[in-house]
Amino acid sequence: MAGTVQCHGYKAFGLQILSEFALPELPRTDQPGRIGSLSVVEGRLSERWEAISKITPNLGIAEHEVMFMVKGTAIFSIQNGSTITVSPAAGADPDSIRLFILGSCMGVVLMQKGILALHGSSLVLDNKAYALVGRSGAGKSTLASYLMDQGHLLVSDDVIPVLVHNGHPLAVPGYPQQKLWQQSLDYLGMNSSAYRPLFQRETKFAVPVHDRFQSEPLPLAGIFELSVVQDGQVAVEAISGLDRLHTLYNHTYQKALVDPMGVREWHFGLLASFVNRLPMYRLTRPEQGFSAPQQTEKIMETIMPKVKEMNL
Amino acid sequence: MNMNITEVLSLDSVLVQREGNIASDMDGEKVMLNVKNGKYYNLGEVGGVIWEALASPVSLRQIAGKMQDIFEVPAELAQQDVIDFVQNLLNEDLVSIVSGP
Repeated sequence: MAGTVQCHGYKAFGLQILSEFALPELPRTDQPGRIGSLSVVEGRLSERWEAISKITPNLGIAEHEVMFMVKGTAIFSIQNGSTITVSPAAGADPDSIRLFILGSCMGVVLMQKGILALHGSSLVLDNKAYALVGRSGAGKSTLASYLMDQGHLLVSDDVIPVLVHNGHPLAVPGYPQQKLWQQSLDYLGMNSSAYRPLFQRETKFAVPVHDRFQSEPLPLAGIFELSVVQDGQVAVEAISGLDRLHTLYNHTYQKALVDPMGVREWHFGLLASFVNRLPMYRLTRPEQGFSAPQQTEKIMETIMPKVKEMNL
Repeated sequence: MNMNITEVLSLDSVLVQREGNIASDMDGEKVMLNVKNGKYYNLGEVGGVIWEALASPVSLRQIAGKMQDIFEVPAELAQQDVIDFVQNLLNEDLVSIVSGP
């Protein structure tokens, strides 16, 4: 790009992001991140998009490159875990472009860099990071928001980068924002008109959480998989054995890209390298009603005895 | 019912890993994923050694000999363990018979 383009340095996902696109929700930095730097540039991609071999009509994969197209928004290319190139469509909404840069593109960047990313929210409980994972609608965001209301800090929302060092997983912070559905906001007594809706998702809102954000990585001490049971009550049970490997795979961010990108062996090996040291629980809640307080109680009951044992 | 279950293995049976499985080390134990059906297996430490031996066609007698050396167990015990374990692998369709019985 021409020298007149201003490049901002931002901090997110353990990376310094040097972006030609303004990313106002991200904190600024002029330092390289823990896992390096990433450039986000604008460029023409139509020829390359034609040439790349397609997995689906909107997704192309080459050895060190993943490309995808969002009609009316942009073509994105993610290369070598170091560069995101964006080719905006005419009249594209900048909010929408940003949503894909910080979501789908980041997921690919992390995978290209050999960093595991889980799909869910992670929070600080008892000075360690815990991940909340689960299907869409399981209540991840609502519970995360409730926990933050109780004074617990957010480590990341939606994409949880996990660095594994000598078998010890570390949760890396995302950026200080939470995406919440209208229903979650209602439960929590928030007024949605104060927040800007995320593009094309009128019922989902971006909530800045600068004052409740954990900005440094923390050991990942456990995972809670949230699920809904029709007539059940709030309950927790340990996930054991090989089910734990399966659970981690299931909640890997953009797991559908693991095989097309040819990284299944790496992914499986990485999970195996730390899964034995990571407690995992299934936390169920009834379909009806607001059960975040009871869920929180169960989570605390589950993790606190371990602390007592350690203090003895 | 898996047809392989009726196959009877002997020490002279030669078997080999089927493709499409990813194995990894988990604190000394071998864990495995069958990519085709998404099934996970824990082969354990001993099973992991047997699995590795099956990377290229090998007779159960050869594997048993190797186990005897590594784990310092009597020949008969090693042979029986190898036959039992490989039978399980065969039932799960993780290995195939190159020549038998």
